[in-house]
Amino acid sequence: MRKLPLRLAGHLVRALVMIWVVATFTFFLIRQMPGDPVAAQYEQLVQQGMSPDGARNATQLTYGFMPTGSTWSQYTHYLWRLLHFDLGRSTQTLGVSASSEVLTGAKWTIGLVLAGILLSFAIGAVLGVIAATRRSSGTGDALTITGSLFHAIPQFVMALVLITVFTVIWPVFPTDGNVDILVDPGFNGPYIASLVSHATLPALAYALSMFGSYLLTMKSSVISVLGDDFVLAAELRGLTRGIRFRYIARNALLPLFTIFALTIGFMFGGAVFIEKAFNYPGMGVTLVNSIGHRDYSTMNATFLLITAAVIVANILADLLYTAIDPRVRRGGTAGA
Amino acid sequence: MATVLETPTGTTPTVTPARQGFWRNLWRVLRRKPTRLAGSLIVALFVAMGVIGPFLYPANLPIDAGNAYAGPSGSHLLGTDFQGTDVLALLVTGSRYVLVAAVIAAACTVVVGTGIGLYAGYRRGGPDSVLMRITDFIITIPGLPLLLVLSTLWKYSNPLTMGLVLGVTGWGSVARAVRSQTLSLRERGFIEAARGLGLSTAHVVRKELLPNVAPYVAMNLLISVTVYIYLEVGLFFLGVLPFNENNWGVMINQAVQNGVTQTGQGLSYLLSPLVAILLLTLGIVLLVDAMDEVFNPRLRED
Repeated sequence: MRKLPLRLAGHLVRALVMIWVVATFTFFLIRQMPGDPVAAQYEQLVQQGMSPDGARNATQLTYGFMPTGSTWSQYTHYLWRLLHFDLGRSTQTLGVSASSEVLTGAKWTIGLVLAGILLSFAIGAVLGVIAATRRSSGTGDALTITGSLFHAIPQFVMALVLITVFTVIWPVFPTDGNVDILVDPGFNGPYIASLVSHATLPALAYALSMFGSYLLTMKSSVISVLGDDFVLAAELRGLTRGIRFRYIARNALLPLFTIFALTIGFMFGGAVFIEKAFNYPGMGVTLVNSIGHRDYSTMNATFLLITAAVIVANILADLLYTAIDPRVRRGGTAGA
Repeated sequence: MATVLETPTGTTPTVTPARQGFWRNLWRVLRRKPTRLAGSLIVALFVAMGVIGPFLYPANLPIDAGNAYAGPSGSHLLGTDFQGTDVLALLVTGSRYVLVAAVIAAACTVVVGTGIGLYAGYRRGGPDSVLMRITDFIITIPGLPLLLVLSTLWKYSNPLTMGLVLGVTGWGSVARAVRSQTLSLRERGFIEAARGLGLSTAHVVRKELLPNVAPYVAMNLLISVTVYIYLEVGLFFLGVLPFNENNWGVMINQAVQNGVTQTGQGLSYLLSPLVAILLLTLGIVLLVDAMDEVFNPRLRED
């Protein structure tokens, strides 16, 4: 059995290597861009009469890496700046660093993703138990079909359908943004109410597109647990339905945590769709807008942060799973 | 590739006896539940739409500015768009790009994923851990943001490039699953026996291992078609890709851009591609349900 610190260290090393590979990839991607935006800005500034040194510094401020010199020195310089969380400046909003641009979006995304995960987990787990215990009846069949269908519905379709139903046909929720701009920000009733009403539909879109996979996993897991001897023993001992339900649910919940890691990546990826559909100012919208505006430093920062978030979430899910299920605390290489 | 999706309703394919057993089995399983028949019918309909649909309409669809955002009527079954073009025509002509790209991507995923999974699982040792590190990497990187970042360089102008890029970024989970199946299969008696007989690695992998992972792979092919349709339509919906051809994603993007979600005018324009995607997904889900039973006799409810 490996010690926890060692495990954690292994995870961290792997995470850092991954982030390094992604950072390298985006560096070369941006340099491969048609017209090479970095060199283009540098040359434009030189032509406008700026000294080569001044132009180099200005370009460096924008992109976070040097416009001139060998590829290798540019690359090492970029990595060095990355270590200081310096990813250049946004070109769409003047005077704002790319990393702060991204972090503003991140808090909105994380709130939505968390709400979506909790909602879908709760709905999926409960419906999964019902689908498993009633699997020979119409209810079970209907739930299973609903689950696989909702699981298969794309997030943007879900978002657009929700928008159409709840803002056009039956206008009860606002369509746009994260909060009503007319309300005073702060810890007051109307502001919070506005936040909640703006977040309801996006969170619902997350939950509806996610609960299917939880439902299906929970269902098959409950069915396999129902066949276990301890359930029969509990039944023979005459335990009440409620207690038996607790026995079953606790054991059946375990596999749900394995798909937890998968759904987190899916959530952050889907953030792009759902935020764009609702015009919610999270990381996904930041990414799409930065691509639309050819704002490569913000694009790079957003992509790195989304990747880092997914990697960290994966590590957390893995550690959580180890903590919950004693059976997986085994020797050998984890995750191989 | 399209023939994989078509179900042989009524026709008797002239293939080897083992194959015939599969098709007969599929037909029997399909007949058992009407939902499955409906599913295969829906899929066949969409395949026909992608293959022959675009030939039914002129290259440039007629525009009628006086009749924009019209609701469904006799002359325009699904209404018209912001330029007064028939939505049904847009839907049919736009299906080919989406379907072709999704099928190429799914084929790419299945070939690369199965190849890597089989090789890694059978070889074990060094190549295995290197390949699995790469696979972990591919799985962990959030796919959609990656595709968005890549769109600054690649323009996905034709379905082939779109399909290849989607496939190259999406084979991870298939590789991992095929590898773990291979790992358990290689310890089984028949593989031991084949190796004991001195059969070549190529023979063992192709003739012994592949048929055993094939059911999983076939079902994955179907499911990944839906996932890729969703991804590519989504990319066009986001509006970051330039487009020169109409497709479902472009339709959704244009509908949202023209304020259909704000005014509620021309709802059928927005909803038509959405419903098409949902219908196709439903068809494939129902078909996968049937495939599941063909490959897994234990699931049969008698």
